[in-house]
Amino acid sequence: MKAALVWDQSFTTYRFRPDHPFNPKRLELATSLIEAMELVDGDRFRVVSPRAATDEELLRVHAPDFIETVRRLSSPGTDQSDAQRWGLGTEDNPIFSRMHEATATVVGGTLLAAELVMNGEVDRSFAIAGGLHHAHRDRASGFCIYSDVGAAIAWIRERYGSRVLYIDYDAHHGDGVQGLFYSDPDVLTLSIHESGRYLFPGTGHPDELGEGDGYGYSLNVPMEPQTEDDSWLEIYRELVTEVAEAFRPDVIVLQSGCDAHVLDPLTHLRCTTRLYEETTRLTCQIADRHCGGRVIATGGGGYAIWRVVPRAWTIVWATLTGQEFSAEIPHAWLDRWQGESPCMLPSRLRDEPGAFPEVPRRTEIEATNRRALVALRRAALPVLRGWSMGF
Amino acid sequence: MLVSDCMKGEVITVTPDDTLATALALTRKHRVRHLPVVLPSGDLAGILSDRDIRLAMPSPLTTADADRTDFLERTAIAGVMTREVVTVGPDETVEDAAKLLYRHRIGSLPVIDSAQRLSGILTETDILHAFVRILGVAEPSSRIELALEDRPGELGRALTLMSEATGLNVVSVIVPSLGRGERKTAVLHLGTIDPREAIDVLEKAGYAVGWPTLAREGGGEGEAQAGG
Repeated sequence: MKAALVWDQSFTTYRFRPDHPFNPKRLELATSLIEAMELVDGDRFRVVSPRAATDEELLRVHAPDFIETVRRLSSPGTDQSDAQRWGLGTEDNPIFSRMHEATATVVGGTLLAAELVMNGEVDRSFAIAGGLHHAHRDRASGFCIYSDVGAAIAWIRERYGSRVLYIDYDAHHGDGVQGLFYSDPDVLTLSIHESGRYLFPGTGHPDELGEGDGYGYSLNVPMEPQTEDDSWLEIYRELVTEVAEAFRPDVIVLQSGCDAHVLDPLTHLRCTTRLYEETTRLTCQIADRHCGGRVIATGGGGYAIWRVVPRAWTIVWATLTGQEFSAEIPHAWLDRWQGESPCMLPSRLRDEPGAFPEVPRRTEIEATNRRALVALRRAALPVLRGWSMGF
Repeated sequence: MLVSDCMKGEVITVTPDDTLATALALTRKHRVRHLPVVLPSGDLAGILSDRDIRLAMPSPLTTADADRTDFLERTAIAGVMTREVVTVGPDETVEDAAKLLYRHRIGSLPVIDSAQRLSGILTETDILHAFVRILGVAEPSSRIELALEDRPGELGRALTLMSEATGLNVVSVIVPSLGRGERKTAVLHLGTIDPREAIDVLEKAGYAVGWPTLAREGGGEGEAQAGG
């Protein structure tokens, strides 16, 4: 087992405003915890620095005039009157200096993670700054300017022609990535997320199944608010196992946003760190079974930056790389960050069972989630199985 | 939204002299359930639904296939079609068209323009699609529910408060009118992934806001804001 963690300080330039919820501080917190727990060793499990994506790489998934606009708006003092049309200059995606370079570096990081896995240098990679899954072809959205995951998948398609299974367990629907590959039957996008009834972006309904040749290759399971780990994991396990059996991917791209956690301020799913450990483990098992163990993981959402993100992504990395880890967070890490943190930092990596109160409507919520799964299965699996039987 | 915005402009039609076999083949080929019957002059003579065809057909349980095919080829549409056609104009609203379908318990409305020509067809599927567009998610947004007193200026006051405090774009507003009550619920789609500030401003001003609230315990500590 070899693995690469793509990270250096250049990722922290992807920063909209000092008080913006998408705060790159979380990357420093997470990678410093991974290092403090000795889960990288400079050999089998190494840290590699990202590079900036080229225009050619961005153009695989973005409109030329969109890239041109992002680049132009990156210089201070330019006319911003048309910015909103491209989803920029909004509350979510304010314009910042050198934003083209910053977001191209996030894309380059995920491309590098994909290259290292596809050329066989490593089995697993984790582009921790990536997972900008709301970026559209010609529009920034939901803190995402360029689509790093989209660019990586498009590169894999072009260079290797491989079948890509994209799994997105961020609490928000992966609408940008779904849109980029909506008619492509060789890229199966599977997003499991909090229902769009309240939550951004509002899409991700089970009837969004793809179009044309890609019909049946976009899958969405919306989860009820207050879903909690058990129902979420049950559905994830069943669906991902069946879909992988039917689709037979060559590689898995995993968007590991950690905003489904109970402490996350933007969502309502009430999950715990168990979710990150079990989904990552299951995804790796499926990759071992179907695609030579190849998993390219990225970050994503995660807005409880002190108490959740560092622990969640340390668990994701340890599980991806199959390393045992200690239950306690090292004192050195706590000492380094506690002074800066506005809240008490947890001392253990995993949430304790029973740490958060149970949801009273649990039975109803589980039943509603199952209905979403059943509806999706009925609509999509015959299409996928039809393919695998050579129809 | 008007009928002309959501109708289908390309209509598959038949003439009264065409046979049921032709009609059946057309419904299958184009996957439609309704065929307006048009005279050579261009006037609408009737409408033929897949149900009309099926009702006119001999039962598959009692008749051999050859007889059935023969029957379909011998029977002209004129004898089977519905002559009293409920139609709609292109400039009527989609909600009025929906009411017509509902009241007459029918599945489609031929659209007749001011020159009395058939200019399109509006089916229940088209209407459903229009309502999905009206009520649904036009662009990425968070959805909140806002309880309002039913009196002048309430919605305006809430929206002004919110836009002055946050600069958020409101993607859509729906205020269903469900009869006379003291309160209404406005459904707002806000163009943001992070509606916390908007909700906060509204709640501080005394409005009841629906966004799943139980799980908001994580947001209370200003975690995401801090540590820059």
